[in-house]
Amino acid sequence: MELRVIDKTDEELRMEVAGEDHTFMNVLKGALLETEGVAAATYDVNPEQSGGQTDPILSVKTEGGLDPLDAVAEASRRVQDMTADFYDAFEAAL
Amino acid sequence: MTNEFDVEIIERDDRSALFVVRGLTPAFANGIRRAMVADVPTFSIDTVRFVENSSVMFDEMIGLRLGLVPLTTPLDDFEVGETVTLALDVEGPATAYSGDIETSVPEVVPADENIPIIELKENQRLEFEADAVLESGKVHAKQQGGVAVGYRHLQRIEVVGDAPEFDEQEPNILRGVIETEDGELVVTDEFDNDLTQRYPGKEVEVVDVPDTFVFDVETDGSFTVDELVLRAIESIDARAAELEEKVSV
Repeated sequence: MELRVIDKTDEELRMEVAGEDHTFMNVLKGALLETEGVAAATYDVNPEQSGGQTDPILSVKTEGGLDPLDAVAEASRRVQDMTADFYDAFEAAL
Repeated sequence: MTNEFDVEIIERDDRSALFVVRGLTPAFANGIRRAMVADVPTFSIDTVRFVENSSVMFDEMIGLRLGLVPLTTPLDDFEVGETVTLALDVEGPATAYSGDIETSVPEVVPADENIPIIELKENQRLEFEADAVLESGKVHAKQQGGVAVGYRHLQRIEVVGDAPEFDEQEPNILRGVIETEDGELVVTDEFDNDLTQRYPGKEVEVVDVPDTFVFDVETDGSFTVDELVLRAIESIDARAAELEEKVSV
C-alpha cells in the first residue's frame, strides 16, 4: 500500500491509500469508528475502469485533541488485535 | 482491548467446513470472506509450451482448461510470483486426465486426479510443458483458493404459540444453521430445511442473533479449509501492520 496525504489539519485528515480495496478499507473504517476521539470516518473508492480515482481515499475527523494520524495508527492496532484474537480462537476450535 | 471471539466448528471435511463465530462485526466478517476468496494465493498453470497437440481442441482452449486445474499449494515454501514446471505426455486412444500431469516439485500436484483434459483418439497426441505461477485470486479467478465462501447470520428460533387451527401448514423454508431455544446449534439440512417439520403445528419467529455469523467455506483442493481461513486472517493482519508502520513515520 502507498499512502499519500491529501489534506491534513489537527482535526481532519484525507489520505489516499493506494493498492487497497474494500477488503481492508471497510475493516479499517469499522475500527476507526470504534476508536475514542474519532468523530467521523469513511472511505471513498470509485469503480475500476471508471476513468478517475480508483484508489480509496480515507477521511477521518477527530475531536478532543486526537491527531487524525494517531487515530489511524490506533485503529490499525485495533485491527491487528482483532485478527490476532480471531486467529487464536479459530486455532483453538480446530 | 481484547475481543471475545467464540468459534465453534459444526461440520468439517478436507475441503469444506461450516463454523459459527460469535463476536464478529459484519465489516470484519466480510473482510475475511473477501480475503479468503481473493487474497490467499494458489498455484495455477499460466504459461504452456506445446510440443505436440494433434487433438481436436486448439492450444488456447487446452491452456484454458489447464489453468483451471487446482494444484496443491504449500504456501510456506514459495513466494508470490514463483513458478513450478509441469509436463504431460499422453498419446491416444486414451483420455488425458489431470492425474497424468507430472510436476517438478512433489508438493505441487493436481488436487484432483480425475479431471479430464481432453479425449484423444487414434494417432492424436498431447505433449506440453507448462509453468504454474503462485498468484492471488485478484489477478485471475483460476488462482482463487476459496471457491464457495459465504456467511449468514445465525438465526434463533422462538416458538411463539400454536399455529391457528384449520390452517394448511405451508412449508417454512429456512437454510443455514439455527440456534434452538436451548442454545443447541442445528444444521437445517437435518430437518429438510423446513421449519414446519421441526416444529409441527407451531408458530415460530426467526430472529437474527446479533454479531454471530455462520461461515460456509469450501476450497478447491489447493489447501485445507483451516489453512485458508488462517492465511486470510494473516493477510488482513499484515496489511494493518503495514499501515500502522507507514502512518507512524
